[in-house]
Formats: sequence, C-alpha cells, structure tokens
Amino acid sequence: MTYLDWAATSPPDAGALATAAAAAAAAFGNPSSAHAAGREARSVLEEARSRLAAAIAGGGAGATRAAGKVAFTSGGTEADSIALLSVLRSALNARRGGAMKELRILTTSVEHAAVFEEARLLESLGIAVDLVDPGPDGRVDPARVAAALRKDTALVAVMAVNNETGAIQKLADIARGVEDAARALGRRPPRLHADAVQALGKIRFDPAALGISSAAFSAHKIRGPRGSGALWYDGTLEPLVVGGGQEGGVRPGTESLQGALAFASAAEAAVAALDRNRERARSLEARLLGGLAAIRGAAALPLGRVAGDERYSPFILSVAFPGLSGEVMVRSLSDAGVAVSTGSACSSNAKRSGRRVLEAMGIESELALSAIRVSTGETSEEKDIDRFLEAADDTYSRLRT
Amino acid sequence: MEALYLIKIGEILLKLGNRKEFEDRLRAQLGRRLAAVGIERRVEVFPGRYFVIVPEESARKAEFVLARTPGVNGYARAIKTEKTVDAVMAAALEVARSRVAQGKRSFKAESRRSDKSFPLGSFELSAEIGTRVLEAFPGTRVDLHEPEFTINAEIRERAYVYADPEPGPRGLPVGSGGKGLLLLSGGIDSPVAGYMMARRGLDLDALYFHAYPYTSQEARDKVESLAKVLASYTGGTSLWVAPFTEVQMKIKKDAREDLTTLMMRTAMMRVADVLAKRLRANCIVTGESLGQVASQTAENMRLTQSSTDLPVLRPLVGMDKEDTIRIAKAIGSYEISILPYEDCCVLFSPKHPMLKARLEREKAAYDELGLEGLLQDCLQRTERVDIGMSVQEQ
Repeated sequence: MTYLDWAATSPPDAGALATAAAAAAAAFGNPSSAHAAGREARSVLEEARSRLAAAIAGGGAGATRAAGKVAFTSGGTEADSIALLSVLRSALNARRGGAMKELRILTTSVEHAAVFEEARLLESLGIAVDLVDPGPDGRVDPARVAAALRKDTALVAVMAVNNETGAIQKLADIARGVEDAARALGRRPPRLHADAVQALGKIRFDPAALGISSAAFSAHKIRGPRGSGALWYDGTLEPLVVGGGQEGGVRPGTESLQGALAFASAAEAAVAALDRNRERARSLEARLLGGLAAIRGAAALPLGRVAGDERYSPFILSVAFPGLSGEVMVRSLSDAGVAVSTGSACSSNAKRSGRRVLEAMGIESELALSAIRVSTGETSEEKDIDRFLEAADDTYSRLRT
Repeated sequence: MEALYLIKIGEILLKLGNRKEFEDRLRAQLGRRLAAVGIERRVEVFPGRYFVIVPEESARKAEFVLARTPGVNGYARAIKTEKTVDAVMAAALEVARSRVAQGKRSFKAESRRSDKSFPLGSFELSAEIGTRVLEAFPGTRVDLHEPEFTINAEIRERAYVYADPEPGPRGLPVGSGGKGLLLLSGGIDSPVAGYMMARRGLDLDALYFHAYPYTSQEARDKVESLAKVLASYTGGTSLWVAPFTEVQMKIKKDAREDLTTLMMRTAMMRVADVLAKRLRANCIVTGESLGQVASQTAENMRLTQSSTDLPVLRPLVGMDKEDTIRIAKAIGSYEISILPYEDCCVLFSPKHPMLKARLEREKAAYDELGLEGLLQDCLQRTERVDIGMSVQEQ
C-alpha cells in the first residue's frame, strides 16, 4: 500500500513501542504511590516528561526547556479540551448572582474539530464564541485576531498548522497582537492556546518562544502510539475534570508510563530528524505539485500554492479534482492501493463540516467538495508520490463527470 | 415449558370464495418464518383462531416474528386450561397478576363461549372473573370503557385465557398477492413502500442500483440492512444488486443536464422490467410520492414507467413525508435510512431538473442515448444476495 495519510496517523515505530512497554512493565508501580515501586515509576515518568519537554524545546529556540510544564494526556483532543474547558470553570467560578459570568472564546473557523467542536459545545453552554476567518491562503491575519479581542475574552485558540491545508499560522504575531490589544483594552492578556498536533517534529515550533500559554500535542502523528498526547502550559490552568491530582492536577488519572515513554522517544526522534525530514518533505511536495500540474484540471488548494512556500507545512497538501467528489477519489484510490483522505479523517462523516476549512477560505463549494488531502511523513518516498499521481490521473480521467 | 400464542386474524375472514387458500397461506407463512429463525413450533388452526406453540425460551423470537407476519391482526400469550370454572378462574387471576405487576389497575373481562355445555354463559363468566379479580387484587377496579387491561376468556374446543393482544401487521398473508420487485434505495421511502405492499400480500424481491465508486460500499451495506428489515415482514427476500456505474456515466456524459435524473430513472425502470419478468413478478414497487422531488411529478412518472408494461405500484404516492417517517420509525428502517451514506451521488443530480417531461420528446431523447447494450451488461452482472428472515434486536 502507498500510504499518504500521515496527517491522520503514522505507522508507529514498533521497536520504540516495545522498549517503552517493557520499561513500563518493569516500573509497574503507581507513580503516586509512596513505596519504592511507586517512586521508581515516578522517576521513570518524570524522566519521560523532561525528555518530551526537551524535545518540544529542541524543535525551536529552546525557550520551552526552562518555561512551562508538560502534562501527559490521552491525546491531542484531550489536551485541547483541558485548555478550552478551563474557561467554563472560570466562568462558573466567577458566577454573578447565580448566573454564569459572561466570558468569550476567540478562535478561528479553520480549527481542528477538537477545538472547533469543543468551542461550539461551550457556546451552547453559554460561553460566547468569536470566530475569525482566514484569508484565501488559509492563514489568519494576526491583526484580525487582535481586533476581535474583547474585554471579556478569556481564551484565544489558534492552531499552529492546519491539518487539511498545511497552513502555518503566525502565532508569534498573533501573541504580540493579542497582548497589545489587551493592553489597549486595559486588561491582562488572555491565555493563548495552540493545537500543535501537526507542528511537533514537522516545523520549527517552540511554544514559550512564540509567547503562547498552552499547546496540544499528539504522539501518533509522529510514529508514537495512540492514546498518548501532551499539554504544554505556562502559568496555572484550572481544569474542569478533577480527581487524584495527577499531572499537576491538570489531567487527573493514573498516568500511562508506556504512553509517556513512547511519546518521549517518538518526539525525540522526530525532532532530531526534523531538518532532514522537512527537506525530504519539501522535495516530495515539489514532486507532487509538479506532477499535479500535468493532470489537466487538478489543482492544489489554495489555488496557486507552489513548492517551497514557507507559509505551508510541506507535509500536507490539499488537492482538488474538480468534477469528482473527494470521497469518490479516496475510495477509488484506496482500491488502487493508495491511502489518502478527504480533509480531516475526524470529520469525514459529516459532509458539510468536512469542507468547513476550505469553505472558510472562500473556496467555492464544488471545488472544496472535490478536494483530498495528501500528507507525507518520515518514510514517504518519491515512488509513493509517483504511484499516487499515476493512480489519481487514471481515476480522474475515468471517473470525472 | 411451552408458550402458547393465540393469533387473531382479520381481513382473511372477509374472503369468501378463496378463504381456505388465504388461511393455508397464513398457516404456511407462520410455520416457515418461525422455522427460519430456528424455532421448534406447532401451528394449530381452529375456526377463526390460529395457535402457535413454541418452547418458552423462543418466546421473544416468536413474538418478533408474529408482530411482522402480514395476515396476523394481533397475538396474545394465552393460558390453555381445562374447561372448568375453577381452572378458568385460576388462569384469569394469573393473567391479572402479570398486569397488576406492571402497575395496571383498571380492567374489564370479556368472554366468548362457543361450547354451550360450559356451565356459565359468557356474561356470567365475565362477571365471575371480575368479582374474583377484585377480591384477589385490592386496588383494582372495573372500567368497561377505557380499561388498562382486559382479561379475555374463550371457551372453545379448549378454554383459553389471555390479556390484551399485541398488534400484528394486519393485511394479507405474503404471497397471496403474488410477487413484486421493489426498487430499494438507501432512502426513507422505499423500505416503507415495501412494507406496505408486503402487508397487502405481495412477496417481494428488491433491486438496488450500485454505482461504485460513486456510491460507497457503506451505502451498499446500508441497503442490505434495509433489506433485512424488509425481510422480517416478507419472511426473507432476495436483494438484487445491479452495477450501474457505466450507465450513470454514459447518461451524465451524453444526456442534457436537466434530463439526467429522469434518464437514469427511465433506465432503472427498464432494468427492473427485465428482472421482474425473469422473476415472474407481476408488478414493480417504488417509494415515489407525488411531487416529493422533481423526478416524481405525474408527467415524469409517465415517462419512467414507459419502460415497463407491468403495473408500477407506488403505495406512498399520496402520503405525506411525516407519515412515511412515522411508519419508517415503527418498522425500524428509519435509523438505517438516515445514515449519511449517499445512495446517489450529488454530482449526478442536475441543478435545474426537468419537472414536466413530455413523453414523446423525452422518450426520444432516452432512445437516442442508446443505453440498451449497457443495460443488458448491467443485468448480466447483477448479483443476488439472499436475505433471510432474522430476528433483530430492537
């Protein structure tokens, strides 16, 4: 099979998984227990934590190494929801006359469902949500984010790398803009959360240096296991879910040593290979875009995306085949042994919202409906791209209407 | 232990000349369906009443079958007793106990006595049951108009006592109306249409047009699930899956855009006509409802049905969508139908479809497409999937 769906999940490094499982089985105590077995597990867990923090920092200027804390979670979605749900807790804490305090969340219309749907849920519970649309290039204008800030905005959430288009958001500018806007409003800056699931190990990303207050990560996108993620956060975060106080109280529940160790190893490996992998992804991106140009009618989205454009992660490319719905293309490519997806794998059951990101960019719905996402990773090769191009060309010429 | 069900029949009783044929058919249907879900059963027929006897552990499965067998007006779990007053009273109290345990209090008793040697007349028997129940269960009361439960006693060749019957589908036993071919899509309407015709005694095969990869494997699986629901009413069915991709593409390529849906439906009807005749079906059944979508105007129906000389039965033609949905929910097809898999790709639907086809003109356009070769090929590759009667968890 030709696997070009790395943004959905990646083939895990079986060796690293086995090593982590063995180490976790050896240090089987509960990290919260006071006895020797517990203390041993605690030290293994903390070692995994500092390795992951260092890996996150190593993916950037290193500022994160000294700042903030890392909490292990069950994945990216949980890390996102801890940050978002803390707003609900704040609103409930600050009840006025029995009614929830009016608080707002400011986010974008291109967020991953883990943020977008959570924000919609909060909206239904009484938290106002302000959405900022991206420009046609899929990137959000930092000035528009700053302008949308209100006195009672408790949280700003902007993703680092879009999971459908690869668009890289200007988080440093957004952080600065939000800070200035807050000052102008005579208030403290709100928390700024970033879903960085498609950033870790893929682009230079150092949350502390960017000036954001929390970031969500996932292990399985970088060859780690499912069920393992992390929330990096600065300052204090009030969780909505409480329990035994594990992970600094932010993510209660007995920790998975196996998941933590495997994530740390996967992150170290991905960050160590970042430059090499990115170069490789750039060259595959160029090959893919070049090949697409030869298929009449096919187009990269946003239209005009060219190889080497620093505004986009080279690992993710949205491609439209007008006249053939994306679902049909995915199905047909699957029969030809090529795995890609339409937009986000997490939203492929809801037809409309599956194209929410592209439509927010102003891409007309017929073009958006014909889009698929091609995403590469560490072991992707030129022949994978060639195989995709060949199968897509064949399918498109046979099935387009 | 055995569970005895008393079956009430309705419309069959109205048949004069061929009542026997209907009765035999219902009896055979009951026997075959219960056997198909693996129940050891006996079916006994007495004038105006059928009895089904199954092992206690099969009772729930048997009820699933009885509730879905057309010709059955109602069924009730009954107690069979000796024809003595004491035995009948004991059974009546047992029936009352089960209802009182459900929190029901108001009741009435109804009796029928065809064996005139029984010491109590039907009025006296009802009165006696009432008295005994009131004595045995404090808090119960008699309500002749809107009782929460009814105790029925029938003194026939044997004595039977039972509470309120559960409703059956009514109608006529499947097969008494011959066989029809149902055009089954993944939507809400066609399974309901099939159910309605099964109740009119029509045995049904189903035909589904699969346009892979435009329609997904999930869409096909969904249609199989719907066929299973249908099969629970028809007592098993055959689902015919016709590969339609090439026909659809040819139409999309060569037909005028506003005619694509109409041309497709005309072509589908042509395939249905050939298959129906092969299956010795005497009619084609569709879920069309007048004006529901552009292709379902009277003018357009005239064009699509011109592909066949069989009657095209459309039981939903005058139904409101809400009513159709209510039936779909009741028969258990609704939740399957609303699964998101498209049965007909949006890319094939014209933006401004033709609303009022003129038969000669549009028929000429259809003929000009020259689909016959592709349709024959489609028929040749049509697969049959046998869908047995199966008990589904509710």
